[in-house]
Amino acid sequence: MYLRSSFARSFANVFASIMSTKKIPADPIGNVQYHVSRKWASIDQGRASALTTARKLERITEGQPSTDANFVVFGSLARREWTPKSDVDWTLLIDGQADYQHLALAQEIAKRLDKAKFAEPGRTGIFGNMTFSHDLVQKIGGQDDTNQNTTRRILLLLESLAIGRSESRGRVRRLILKQYLNNDYGLRFSTLPFKVPRVLLNDIVRYWRTVTVDFLEKQRMQAGQGWGLRNAKLRMSRKLIFATGLLSCFSCDLLADASARQQLIGRAHSTIAMEEHLRNFMERTPLEILATVVSELRINKRTSIKLFSAYDEFLALMSDSRKRDRLKRLTPDSARGDKIYEEMRKFSHSFQEGLTALFFKDHKRLQELVTFYGVF
Amino acid sequence: MRILGFSTGALAYGDFRRALDILKAKRIRAVELSALREHELAPLVDSLDSLDLSAFEYVSVHCPSSFDKVRESDVIDLLMKIAPRKWPVVVHPNTVYTPSKWNKLSGLMLLENMDKRSSEGRTAAEMAILFERLPYAGLCFDVGHCRQVDSTMNEAYAILTHFQPRLRQVHLSEVNSKSKHDPLSGAAIRAVEQISHLIPEEIPIILESVVSEDEVETEISRAKQALSPVSSNRKVETFYISVG
Repeated sequence: MYLRSSFARSFANVFASIMSTKKIPADPIGNVQYHVSRKWASIDQGRASALTTARKLERITEGQPSTDANFVVFGSLARREWTPKSDVDWTLLIDGQADYQHLALAQEIAKRLDKAKFAEPGRTGIFGNMTFSHDLVQKIGGQDDTNQNTTRRILLLLESLAIGRSESRGRVRRLILKQYLNNDYGLRFSTLPFKVPRVLLNDIVRYWRTVTVDFLEKQRMQAGQGWGLRNAKLRMSRKLIFATGLLSCFSCDLLADASARQQLIGRAHSTIAMEEHLRNFMERTPLEILATVVSELRINKRTSIKLFSAYDEFLALMSDSRKRDRLKRLTPDSARGDKIYEEMRKFSHSFQEGLTALFFKDHKRLQELVTFYGVF
Repeated sequence: MRILGFSTGALAYGDFRRALDILKAKRIRAVELSALREHELAPLVDSLDSLDLSAFEYVSVHCPSSFDKVRESDVIDLLMKIAPRKWPVVVHPNTVYTPSKWNKLSGLMLLENMDKRSSEGRTAAEMAILFERLPYAGLCFDVGHCRQVDSTMNEAYAILTHFQPRLRQVHLSEVNSKSKHDPLSGAAIRAVEQISHLIPEEIPIILESVVSEDEVETEISRAKQALSPVSSNRKVETFYISVG
């Protein structure tokens, strides 16, 4: 929201401070680029294209979303990594009274996207339809928390953007965080030196592990079709989501205001300030989260360069239609020795090395956190 | 002990005399005279001299919730006739077209936070913008509106924390998905319990729950339950004991 005056801006700062969100540079990626004296052209291009595309989508769907039914996008657009061949992963997120018009609304959005020649979402059924808030909020864990439900919930937190009206997305994200944190008695009452929302962290880990296992299922069921591209995404963008999900959880310990920790250990063991910290922190894109962490924790330059340069190469490859199509056609049998595949493997290894350095070598507290929470 | 009362509009739609009779009969000590529709304001103001309000410790007036900009001065002129009585006047942000005109009401004006249908005044940040334009205004905190905007109650926490010095009155009810005021549900009571400690004892609570005459006492007792500091403290203590 645009704050019209100095008072309102200063209030926003005070509000942010009291609600335990540290002041973060407006453009954390630009900040990192400045500090390491590098320019990552494909990352910049992806962000600029995402902005243009989001504006276009807002025009296309104008008048359709409401306060209770938001048009929410995921994937590369939400991550601001838009490339010419990206598809639009979207849902109509409904948080309000049941309305038989909701289906027609979702269908109308699909029709408009099709008419504007946006590529359809993948065939998993997770996107391109309606999502209901109650499932996301109430079914965390248990038999009814399906693979689809978990994916939608985690991505709503880590990789989503409302086009046009954003009220229901905002409400649902708040509720999800409330469920994770307020019910996390370890976070609220334990005497551990760390303050990390472990239930949320475990769900993010579960999501990532599920994605990696499902990779195999898709490989079998789709007879290797699209294997090379999925492989690249798994190594890069999916892994980025996981890594920044972990970093978001660790940010409660590393970057949240002291007042948020105070409220947690105070008499009421209130999670409100920590929820607000996480909500604001996770409003950033995964790359912005990564940039925020490397800046705030003063991670060594070599690691920063490794991470962002590798990701920049990934986005460059995704933007190159010829290479992307080639990758998409590769199967497990034809990949070995392929020049494009080898190029992808190389930068994905570099990205992995960067993550390993970030989590396990460059910062003592982060290393302690990942050792404590990462596996057991 | 908290002062609890009702909005006349919630008890008897468009008939404040009947609502006042009900409240007096039930010995309820606070009332908000509702003129939510513009055409109700002038008759209400004209009849004030003929109303016996001596039974009420607290009286406020709810300004019309919607009118055109051209009517703004007329509405304010009518409200100024009430001003000598020093009754707080609850105002919706969307009706404040010219903030300078409203400063006439000085500290009597209470700005109310809005439900999800509004585009302003829903959150602490949005209220800050409004209070900057209306520095003399107090706050009428509508719990139902706020809970509809954010049912985690984090926004309620933020508003009550940051605008505590401005808080003069509280509106209490369930607000359903169609933004209608309903009686307090169990979920609403539990939500209010979370923030009741941020509402000082002396702040009048006006119920906007649409209930029948027979349901008034029950609704008052539900409101007391929601606002009871004991219940929220006990909840915290329970956590201490069960986990500690």
